[in-house]
Amino acid sequence: MSPHHPIGEAILLSIVVLSAWLGVIGMLRMHEPTQALHYLSLPAIGAFALTIATFLETGLTQVFWKTLAICIMLLAINSVVTHASARAFRTRQLGHWEPRDGDPIEFVRDTKEFEQ
Amino acid sequence: MNIWLIAGIAVASSLVLCAFMCLHGNPERRLVGLEMTSMIVITSMVLFTVGTGRLPFIDLPLTLAILSFGGGLVFVRFLRRYL
Repeated sequence: MSPHHPIGEAILLSIVVLSAWLGVIGMLRMHEPTQALHYLSLPAIGAFALTIATFLETGLTQVFWKTLAICIMLLAINSVVTHASARAFRTRQLGHWEPRDGDPIEFVRDTKEFEQ
Repeated sequence: MNIWLIAGIAVASSLVLCAFMCLHGNPERRLVGLEMTSMIVITSMVLFTVGTGRLPFIDLPLTLAILSFGGGLVFVRFLRRYL
């Protein structure tokens, strides 16, 4: 059983390509690593479209179920790794993770300072 | 050449920018580039698998998705403690 739908696949695959490119360009454009981390979620969203496109191409086969597993894994892993990365960046910059008195409220560094 | 392979090539071509991110800047930015690279590679491997019709190869991106989680966390821990 394969609900083959070429136009639907084309639309979904273009969403996959767009999400990947937007994520990469956005990541490159951000000077601050903490801001760049936000763009990791875009390819994970594209994985949803990829899963649906795989269903349209192959139907309810093993490939579809494994692609669904990859999609769920990417979404789950992405959030955990992003949080761990942000935590590591903050610890690296301030020496601790939890908020303390005297911490700078503005965590994002000055762009000029970053470029030096 | 079907639409899956075209999409796979289009997604994989963004790896050039990921490589640029991994090779330039401070360690934090490089780590973000590495994490993005693993996401893009997993996506493009799925696209190439379906595009070429060699469906047993779907195990490769599945394995990479599992391993990239551990790999990413190891790098994060290393960056936090030692770099």
